[in-house]
Amino acid sequence: MRKVILIIALVLVSNTIFAQSVFDKFDNQDDITTVIVNKKMFQMLSKVEAKDKETQQYINLIKKLENLKVFVTANDKKSDDMKSVADKYVRSAGLEELMRITEKGKNVKIYVKTGATDSQVKELLMFIEGSGKEESVLMSLTGTFELDELSSLTDKMKLPGGDVLKKAGKK
Amino acid sequence: MRVVAFLAIALSLLLFSCNSKPSLQKYFVDHQEKPGFMVVDISSNILNVNKAKLTAEQTKVLSSFNKMNILAYKLDPKHKGEFDIERKKVNEILKDTLNYQQLMKIGSGKNGASISFIGEEDRIDEFIIYGCKSDNGFAVVRIMGKDMNPADAMTMLSVLKSSNIDMKQLEPLKAIMK
Repeated sequence: MRKVILIIALVLVSNTIFAQSVFDKFDNQDDITTVIVNKKMFQMLSKVEAKDKETQQYINLIKKLENLKVFVTANDKKSDDMKSVADKYVRSAGLEELMRITEKGKNVKIYVKTGATDSQVKELLMFIEGSGKEESVLMSLTGTFELDELSSLTDKMKLPGGDVLKKAGKK
Repeated sequence: MRVVAFLAIALSLLLFSCNSKPSLQKYFVDHQEKPGFMVVDISSNILNVNKAKLTAEQTKVLSSFNKMNILAYKLDPKHKGEFDIERKKVNEILKDTLNYQQLMKIGSGKNGASISFIGEEDRIDEFIIYGCKSDNGFAVVRIMGKDMNPADAMTMLSVLKSSNIDMKQLEPLKAIMK
């Protein structure tokens, strides 16, 4: 009996620890700019009444989103750290590479975890590796959405690497 | 039997520890008199709207909004340590995600802003906006009401547009902006 309680306690404790994502350690660091949008925010936004069709489209997409995390840094060391964490995560979470682009000296990699169908995305991870003065960007977006819906999101939200994501959506 | 007793103790400890956590309310009360801090209460009549002109929907939305509480701390270069300590205290309070559900957050280390809320997503009792700037200070804004609904945000905006904000209530804040 005691063992059972111990196990339950352990599970509860570890749950609260693992509920945080692997990227949360980049939060609250001086050289890293963070943007985090939580599920509740998306839920609330989706309740706002839409006046026109374009906004409605946008709101329909927002309903399907859960979590957005963006980390931006110009610090080389932090950038390397981000890269290794992202690489590790891609392997452990079973993400597939969607595309890889080298543009203006920037390395952009996009990974996805697909859902029921090939075009349905459960998770999108993007890493833009900047060199020198260019900033590195790590972006993680979770939810259940269609790849081609992304373009309306990138248009409205002005996400980093939006133009690249747009290309990915058209594939 | 021993198991039940153990569980009861564990649970009571858990609940107790929840209760003894510092709340924002307490933080506001504890710090309003301290040097460097400023607390301002703003009631909903600051909007100074002509209630006769409002639609039924607008009136309903306006009545769900109660008051606003602002706490601001201005950084004193002589007491840099104090700023760090107080900033951390507020961060600790807001980290309690059981009470304060975070909506979004933006920032880098010492600079940043976040929005959280208390209540359920379509019946919100309180919005908390926190902002911090490493060379300026920090501020916490609590927007309190009863059953505020984010779906009404647009209606609230229309009320704000027809409002005639009473600047006198904001006067104390000017001092800290300087």
